[in-house]
Amino acid sequence: MKTIGRILIILAVFSALSALMVLAVNASGGSSSAPDFDGAPPQFEGQEGREGFRPEGGETRPEFGERGERGGGWMFGLTKNLVVISLLVTLIVLPKSIARNKKKRAIINPVNNGVS
Amino acid sequence: MANETQRPVTSQTKTKLWLDVLIFIAFLVTMDPHSSGIAIHEWLSLAMIGTMVVHLLLNWDWIIQLSSRFFGNVGKQNRINYILNWLLFIDGTLIMISGIMISEVALPAVGIQLPAGFAWRRLHDMSANLGLLLLGIHTALHWGWILTAFQRYLVQPIAGLFSTKQKEDAAL
Repeated sequence: MKTIGRILIILAVFSALSALMVLAVNASGGSSSAPDFDGAPPQFEGQEGREGFRPEGGETRPEFGERGERGGGWMFGLTKNLVVISLLVTLIVLPKSIARNKKKRAIINPVNNGVS
Repeated sequence: MANETQRPVTSQTKTKLWLDVLIFIAFLVTMDPHSSGIAIHEWLSLAMIGTMVVHLLLNWDWIIQLSSRFFGNVGKQNRINYILNWLLFIDGTLIMISGIMISEVALPAVGIQLPAGFAWRRLHDMSANLGLLLLGIHTALHWGWILTAFQRYLVQPIAGLFSTKQKEDAAL
């Protein structure tokens, strides 16, 4: 019963935040500013039956799931995200750890570290 | 008596650890929809709502304690953690709601069609990138706990297996 209550609280906060976000986006007119694009490739028609100009390399646009299959792209995406997280962890944990070690050393050996 | 009170805490820590590992891996997979495919991206993200609720339930006592004593004497680290966790929750909600608004597979599969909005797509991308940064900071702030839990529930049991085998070999 207690757990159900807690779940309901979490979902209520989630719903309230969601409603606020929807209201904010609708109020700013964000949802109506969608560009006129339905996902279909543009048709290039030539004049009087001739084939029209088609930009180079624009045959097909890769869809989700197709892009990474050839060149190990999925590995790149995953590695990139892991590197970002690792960098953040290193940048935060390392200075903290160095400072803690310095403090420890100062407590153990106060004379050498200038602590009286 | 001590063992009786210690056992549930230990098993809860273990559950927390493996759930967090699961959430972390799922987050990495969902962060790259080009490789996983849009269907996995959407269904896994929706499933993550459930795991996030369990994650919050497992840390409920800490949330309540900090909420009631936020302006009291709780320490700088705890206060930063608390604010960061709220930011993560708000950002997670934004990722979810914007993802639902631009859903191409999951929502149409249950018969719901929402008008596509360019703003929602941009919000989804921006909040996901912000989420990655917040998750990195969240991981960094809990690094001590992560290391201790891994040491206790992964490294030590494996090392224990080898040392037991060595002892058995030596006895033979």
